[in-house]
Amino acid sequence: MTSRYILQTALLVYFSTTVLAMNYNLLRFQLSSSSVECQELLLQLNGTSKDCLKDRMNFKIPEEIQKSQKFQKEDIVLVTLEMFQKTSDIFRRNLSSMGWNESIVENLLATLHWQKEHLEEILEDIMQEENFTWDHRTLLHLKRYYLRIVRYLKAKEFSVCAWTIVQAEILKSFFFLDKLIDSLPN
Amino acid sequence: TMLALLSATTLVLVAGVPWMLPAAAGGTNLKSPQNVEVYIVDDTFILRWNRSSPSVRNVTFSADYQIHENGAWLQLPGCQSVASTECNFSSVKLNVYEEIKLRIRAKEGNNTSPWRYVDSFTLFEKAQIGPPKVHLEAEDKAIIVNISPPGTKGGGMWASDSSGFIYSLDIWKNSSSGERKTKTVYSRDKIYELSPETTYCLKVRARLLPRKTGAYSPVYCIKTAVENKLPPPENIQVEAKNQTYILKWDYAQENVTFHAQWLHAYLKKIPGDNSGKWKQIPNCKNVRTTQCVFPKNTFHKGIYLIRVRASDGNTTSVWSHEEKFDTQLQITLFPPVITMKPTNNASLRVYISAPGESENKPVNHLYPLIYEIVFWENTSNAERKILEKRTDFTFPQLKPLTVYCVKARALLQDERWNKSSVFSDIVCEKTKPGNTSKTWLIAGVCAALFSIPVVIYVMKLLFRCISYVFFPSSKPPSTIDEYFSEQPLRNLLLFTSEELTERCFIIENTNTITAVEETNQTDGEHKKYSSQTSQDSGNYSNEDESTGSKFSEEFLHQETE
Repeated sequence: MTSRYILQTALLVYFSTTVLAMNYNLLRFQLSSSSVECQELLLQLNGTSKDCLKDRMNFKIPEEIQKSQKFQKEDIVLVTLEMFQKTSDIFRRNLSSMGWNESIVENLLATLHWQKEHLEEILEDIMQEENFTWDHRTLLHLKRYYLRIVRYLKAKEFSVCAWTIVQAEILKSFFFLDKLIDSLPN
Repeated sequence: TMLALLSATTLVLVAGVPWMLPAAAGGTNLKSPQNVEVYIVDDTFILRWNRSSPSVRNVTFSADYQIHENGAWLQLPGCQSVASTECNFSSVKLNVYEEIKLRIRAKEGNNTSPWRYVDSFTLFEKAQIGPPKVHLEAEDKAIIVNISPPGTKGGGMWASDSSGFIYSLDIWKNSSSGERKTKTVYSRDKIYELSPETTYCLKVRARLLPRKTGAYSPVYCIKTAVENKLPPPENIQVEAKNQTYILKWDYAQENVTFHAQWLHAYLKKIPGDNSGKWKQIPNCKNVRTTQCVFPKNTFHKGIYLIRVRASDGNTTSVWSHEEKFDTQLQITLFPPVITMKPTNNASLRVYISAPGESENKPVNHLYPLIYEIVFWENTSNAERKILEKRTDFTFPQLKPLTVYCVKARALLQDERWNKSSVFSDIVCEKTKPGNTSKTWLIAGVCAALFSIPVVIYVMKLLFRCISYVFFPSSKPPSTIDEYFSEQPLRNLLLFTSEELTERCFIIENTNTITAVEETNQTDGEHKKYSSQTSQDSGNYSNEDESTGSKFSEEFLHQETE
């Protein structure tokens, strides 16, 4: 009797792990294509001829992201969600000074939102299945980082140079995001 | 007397202790507050503690905070000289994501207790989500919900995270049979499929991923309106075809025109009014049919909301349900290609691949697909249906030497989009005889076991042969022993096998020698024999010379005579 239950539970565990494994395969593909699309759109936003060197700022991207520390796959989902969410929040702010093509910005927001929704679904699944201990520390550091960017924009009154600096910073953050995505298990 | 002395000293000590201790401590017997806790809901920060001794005295409490390690301790506003056991420090200007430390102590007159420290924390991690505010509007079969995020508008604890709130709504009929339904809604959303002229009650709470769940709002009740003459369209669906999308819906009445609009779904996540942002879907205004066709490039990759309303010239219906449209899920699913291989143990291994791909290449996971596989024995009609996410799996332990057939179709993993491909071609295969591998395995093992001694024996024989041919034994065969039992002869024979160099005494007779030479060329056995014997006799030289020479002398003697 017990041996039969053991077999059933073993099968259940096996299938559930394969299900999760499949999700990460698909997720990895989706994340990298979303990231590429976002970076392409960001690059399409035309720059300025103004000299913005004096407005440069070290936003101090969190060390854990910069040094691509080993994360558990569930934490990667959470971290990438936060990055897509916060990037989307930034580009919904006052962009009037830049004169950027509205449809490009809309497409950027649409791509970010699309990926965010799918990440949220996976996160909900993870939360239901396991009692996972989240890496709150990295998340907190990320929130601080994006708050620094928003405060900078507000302090510079959303000027052209401020937006140019922020555009470059977000592109840099996508570079680290790509490394995170690559570290997702197969 | 000793006993008396002991008791006296203990008495003195016991009496003296309460006087001595205060003197040593400098007169303070105030204990620091206990069970200090930080309680935060949205933008209200509260510090709570317990008195160390419950007696009512003129005790006040003061708290400080520290931002950086080893930095200065600043006074916590709202928590200076507080008489009760809690204080509100919401006015402190702090970054909610920064680590802070708190300390609190009691004070009575000139006495202060030691500081009680609170471990370093961030306001965000301790914050709980408060109730959201809800505004309702009733339609005939729907309720429009307008949710304001918890916390202060445009700032406070949730300033950076407000667009990340997920709202979950509980709704039920106010009547006795109130069956509760829970839905996830946007901040501006509609609850559909309600009955007209019915009172519904609902409550909402906000959530933040990963683990913050907020408090429920108060319960709000509203009555739906009278049924509209012109209902909104229903069952909105979008289909992809070549380079266009086909938008379809259902409508009962005739002689109406329809109007379809779309909106970026992300706009729903921003608090505020987005009603002005709905855009026209091309070719979908004032259409008379219950469908319209528009080009695929209208929509960039993303999630959109589509709504349709009907108009009969005089009145227009309310907007339909806002159907979620994910461009990435609008695909025509092609039937998969199945290949089946019988494996050992009467199992069948199934490979699923997309059309145009070989079985060895993994399926291109552009979309989350699952496969519905129908499996049956060729002779029976009993079908087995399973849902499988893997593209390479096995049906184990089937009946041996039976034909099984399989067909499959691809389904979208998301149940909300009821998309499936047509069924693939049927593939049938016969299973291998069962237990084949087992019996062969046993036979193989037995054969191996038996063959080992056989091999060893054969090797031994071979080795013996080889050694006989190439490394002959110096021992004469044992049969010689039978014939020659006398010791001296034996010794003779034995020794001739060894290579001994001895001094030979050759008794020469030239006649005999030439005869030897002649007879060597011609036949003649007896001649040979005689010459040989003379030759031999000459050569019989060995250790036992006495016997040898005697023997030879005898022979010679016989010859010459």
